[in-house]
This record gives sequence, C-alpha cells and structure tokens, in this order.
Amino acid sequence: MQRLFAATRKEFLQFSRDWLLVIFIIWLYTVEVIICTYALSFDVRNLSLAVYDQDRSQMSQELIERFTATDYFGETVFVSGPGEIDFLLDSGRADIGISLPPDFSGAVRTGESVEVQVILSGVNSNTASIARGYAEAIITRFSQEAAAERARGRSDIADAPVVIPQIRIWYNPDLKFRYFMVVSMIVVAGVFVGLIHAVATMVREKETGTMEQLVLTPLKGHELIAAKLVPTFTIGLLSLLPSLGIALWFGVPLRGSVLLFFLASAINLFSSAGIGIYISTLSRNLQQGLLISFFILFPMMFLSGTMVPIESMPMPLQYLSYLSPVRYYMEITLGIFLKGVGLSVLWPEFLLLFAFGAVIFPVGLWHLRRGIYR
Amino acid sequence: MIYQLVKKETREILRDPVILGVAIVLPVIMLFLFGYAISLDVDDVSMAVYDQDRSQESARLIDAFVGSGYFTIEHYLDSPGQVDRVLDKGEASIVLAVPPDFSRDVNLGKRTEVQVIIDGSFSATALIVSNYAASVVNRYTEDLLDRRGEAAAGTIGINPRVWYNPPLKSVNYIVPGLFAVLLMAFPPMLTALSIVREKERGTIEQIYVSPVSPSAFIAGKVIPYSVIAFFEMVLILAIGTLWFRIPFKGSVPLLIGISLIYVLTTVSIGLFVSTITRTQFQAMFLSLIVTLMPSFLFSGFLFPIATMPYMLQLYTYVFPARYFNDISRDIFLKGVGLEYFIGNAVLLIIYGSALFIAASLKFKKKVA
Repeated sequence: MQRLFAATRKEFLQFSRDWLLVIFIIWLYTVEVIICTYALSFDVRNLSLAVYDQDRSQMSQELIERFTATDYFGETVFVSGPGEIDFLLDSGRADIGISLPPDFSGAVRTGESVEVQVILSGVNSNTASIARGYAEAIITRFSQEAAAERARGRSDIADAPVVIPQIRIWYNPDLKFRYFMVVSMIVVAGVFVGLIHAVATMVREKETGTMEQLVLTPLKGHELIAAKLVPTFTIGLLSLLPSLGIALWFGVPLRGSVLLFFLASAINLFSSAGIGIYISTLSRNLQQGLLISFFILFPMMFLSGTMVPIESMPMPLQYLSYLSPVRYYMEITLGIFLKGVGLSVLWPEFLLLFAFGAVIFPVGLWHLRRGIYR
Repeated sequence: MIYQLVKKETREILRDPVILGVAIVLPVIMLFLFGYAISLDVDDVSMAVYDQDRSQESARLIDAFVGSGYFTIEHYLDSPGQVDRVLDKGEASIVLAVPPDFSRDVNLGKRTEVQVIIDGSFSATALIVSNYAASVVNRYTEDLLDRRGEAAAGTIGINPRVWYNPPLKSVNYIVPGLFAVLLMAFPPMLTALSIVREKERGTIEQIYVSPVSPSAFIAGKVIPYSVIAFFEMVLILAIGTLWFRIPFKGSVPLLIGISLIYVLTTVSIGLFVSTITRTQFQAMFLSLIVTLMPSFLFSGFLFPIATMPYMLQLYTYVFPARYFNDISRDIFLKGVGLEYFIGNAVLLIIYGSALFIAASLKFKKKVA
C-alpha cells in the first residue's frame, strides 16, 4: 500500500510539474467548450435574401415581409434583373434568391395557379435544405391563407376540412443546438484525455528508458499500472466539474442523476485508458503513440454520434458504430442530461461500455506485461 | 546542405509506418467517413404511431407518412405511456398520435389536429424532420380536399432551384472543405512533433553545434512535410472527383497554386508550435488547440460561420483554414475566378509569410 502510494505520488508530481500541459488540458475542458458552444450550431439564421420582384404589388410585398419577419432570413437586397441574382449568389453576398412573376398578385386574387421561384445556394447542403424547408413553409401558408380569403368571398363552399399538425419537440423544445454541443464536447474531451494521457504516461517511461528502472523497484506490476492510471482517472473525473459548471451556465438541463453521470464517466475512463494502454504497447516512441492514438480516435469519435447523428449515416457505418465505445458513453450522457432517464433505460449502454473496457483493458495489460517483464 | 537535411528527414519519415499512416491513410479514411456519413438529411426516420382512431382515414394519414419515403414505422403503440418509453429509449425519433375522433371530425369537415412528437436532442435533424412531417400532413390535407372535389384551386406553386450543388449532396460541399481541414490538421502537428522530438532527445544540440544554419534546419523540416501535405491534397482531389464524382468547375492550376501557399502557412504554424513547447506531449496538445480543432470547427467546414456571434466570427480569422475553405469551395463548386476571392487570397499570403518569418526568427534567436 505504501509502495503504491509513493508511486502514485511520483506520477502526480510528474504531472503537476508540467504546468504547460495542465494549462492545455484545462483549456480543452473550459475555454474550448465555451467557445464551441457559443459559436457552433447548425441553426439557420440571418440568411441574406435577394428578391427579384417583377410584380411590385402590395401582395408581393406582403409575401416578402413574411420572409424577413423571421429570424431565418436577414438582410434583403432587391434586384432589378435575373442576372443580378446570379451575381449575388456567385459572390456569396446572397444565400437565397426569390423571384416573383409579373402577374403574381393578379393570379393569387383570381385563384389561378402561379409559380414562385426560389433559388438556393447549395454550397452548404445542410443549410440549403433547411432553408428550402422554411421557404416552402412560408409560401404554403401564404397560399393557404389566400385560398381561405377567396373562399370567404364565396358562400357556396362549405367549411373545408383541414388537418393541422401540432408539432411538439421533446427534450429540447427550443431546438437549441447548444444543449447537444455541450454534451458532445464533454464526452469528446473525456475520451480524448483518458486515452491520450494513458498513452503518454506509459510510452514516456518507455522512451526515456526509465521503465526498466521502475521494473527493478520492488513495485509489483499491477501496482505500477495502478499508480500510472490514478492520475488519469483523477484528472478525467476532476475536469468534469468545470464542464458541469459550464453546462449549467448555458442552461443545459441536467434532468437525470449526477452520480450516474460520474459513474458512466468512470467506466468510460476505464475503457479509454484500456485502449490507451494497448496503443502504448504498439508504439516504440511517444510520437508514434500519439499518432496511433489519433488514428484510432478519429474513426471512434466520428462513429459515436458526437458529431452527426448515427441515424443519418449509411447502414454499414451504423453497424460499425457499435464498435465505438464512445457511442455508448454519448448515449448515456445525452440520456442523463436531456432525457432524464436512469439505469432502467440505459442499462444496455452501461453494460456495453463496461464490456468494452473489460475486454480491452486485460488485453492491453497482457501485452504490456509481456513487453516489460519478458 | 538543405538537400542532405531533406534527405535525412525523408528517410526518417519513410522508415516510420505510423507517420505515413497518419499523413496518407488517415486522411483517406476521413474522406470516406465524411463523404458518406456527414449529412443531416435523414431519409429513414424511425417512427412510432399511436393511432387512437383506427379508421380508414387514419390509415390513409399513416400511409402518407410511409409513402413520403422519409419515415419507417418501427412501432405501433397502445397507450400514452408507451409514447414516453419509445422516445426515452431512442427507439423512435418521431411519434405520430392520431386522436380518437379523427375520422369523424375530418368527415364533418372540422379542423382537426394530429400530434407529432419529435426527439429534439439533435436539434438540426429535429428541425428537418419537423419540416418533413408538416409537409406530409399538408399534402394529406390537399389530397383529402382533392378526394372530396374541393380542390384548393389556385395554389401558389414553389419552384425551388438549387445552385452549385443541385442534388444537395453533402459530399459535394464536404470534400472541397476537407482540403482546408486536412492540410491544417496533420502536417503542422507532424512538423511540430518532429522538431520537438529532437529537442526532447537532445539531438537538437548536435544541430546547434554543427555548421547547419537555422534556416537550413527549418527548410529541412518544412520541405518534406509540405511535400507530404501536397501529396495528401492531390490524393483527396483525385478520390473526390473520380470516386465521389464531385463536379470540379474551376481551374486546377489555380487551386494548386493557392494550396501551396496554404500548406506553407499551416506548416509554419507547426514550426511556431515547436518553438513554444518543450515536450512532444505539449506540442501535440498545442497543435490540437491551434490547428486540428479549429480546422474542423472554425473554418466553416461543417458549421456555418455566418451564424456565429460576431466576436467569434472575428476569432475564425485567426485560423488560415477559414480563408482557404472559402477559396476552395469557390473554385470547386462555383467555378469562379481569382477576382471573386482575391481578398481571401491576399490575406492568406500575408498570413503565411508573416507566420513563416516570425517562426524562423524565433527559432534563430533560440539558436543564437
């Protein structure tokens, strides 16, 4: 026990002496989380609009005001020819162009069919498809209201049945991307620090040749590894605290149990560190260790649903995502934060996350032992 | 002298399969992952139906959802409690609840509401799903009126046209952006690691005492990694156009010319990182913060810059990926010429040369 304590103390000392590294890790968990949460979203807002209104009537004005009244569309430029829309889109000064035909108001009043042209810059396909949805919704509503207006003028038509979708969004009623972003950043930082730190502490000793010295001390193999991993776990769990503070600051609901979240994070560190140990046995020096980590981290992060939802990936990649432990950690964290569910719902994810660690950790240890005590 | 150093560095790189893996294989893996998987468009939304009416009319509405091609029905529910459960467990991301008197109201010609409940955890997709659901119900209403001979005459049709990327395929905007990302994500980190490694091992002292001049040492490090980065870029260009069949509308020499400047800029960042840090672990973390993460997050690659708060829009100018991302998409998708993005190009050149000079000076001072 005393040996273990001394060895752990050595690891902590070594870690805290590298203050630049401490700053970087804290930065990753705090400043980076804040910046990303403020800046990044897939929300569509303030699209600049180019309008070619050939009708110039009160009605066409009204339709355009429907667009500008929303948050989705911002600055509006009126143009006097179709070529100008081309230019504005080409130069990136407009994201969406609307062209109203000369007979627009007349057609709407008499109930003839008429077409409005909506031109979108598809450079960012996500923004474009959301913007198209908005534009269609605005025009459809305008059209339905115009039809109702006409019907009111004639008494021969009885009430037409209309089915109205009442849409309710759960877990995140205002559709704030921030909620997702904060949760995703916490998960990514947790996996990253857990894995990389484990790799670094292991390989560093290997590279400087001090691993042999450690092996020669009366320290037993498992004590050595435990001492190495205590700082990884401590940092990994302690750094969740500022992240939780940031989550509260952004108003992210923490509907479930904090304790359960910490439990999940500990299990995640266990499996991340397991991967880390395994990587450290594959690498000859620190540079290799770090690069191999990136090699493994990227696909693992990518297939976890922290960046884009797994549901919108093609089927083969969806199956592959089951291999990424981050997927389970992400589902657990989202579930606890936004949905407020507990073990009764999340037990399969907990089990799989733990199972992943329970497989990779011993494999890593076995390779490590073989490497050191050969 | 420089030639010898480049040769030595190249030999070291070629000897290490891991470096080549990260420099060449990882970008290709990422290209495929991003190319196939980054899309917020959902065409197989898992849906649960809580039909309290169980009539011909409600079946028609449900058919309208299935027929749209966006939704797949996974569950039929019998109680409101089950609605909670399927959403909580993530077994469905949208639930359609049809009220008990739905068909009666529809036949009476009343306004009727159906409830659509959507999992909003990932807001961007939820938004698209809710747009789909609304348009399905609207189309159902129109169809209903049509069947009863009350066709809503004179609707305003919408003729949406999408430019630059008509099928709205995300791969078409991902790949041109990926140049900006990958050229900034890995080459600077590799450069920084390779210099700091010499520091950590003490072999840099040997360089200091040798007749090698600091600028030759820098060139010896920068050139091989720039070549790798350039090779990376040609590879992505080839896969992007040949495999993913992304239309390349602009001029190839123009893109290559500007990307050379860009590569030099990003490698200079790596150089700069190596002058600040002492250990490889530090260098890796600093590269992560100043190159890898910003290249993904603050370049406009995935997340549009226009929606960021103003201060953070200014922050994106700190990273050269932002300039190059705009240029690359302009050339690739719009096919416009230099006059459209001359501002970005000039900024990039100033940025790159300033950084290169600063990093070299800092390095020289250390040697002296």
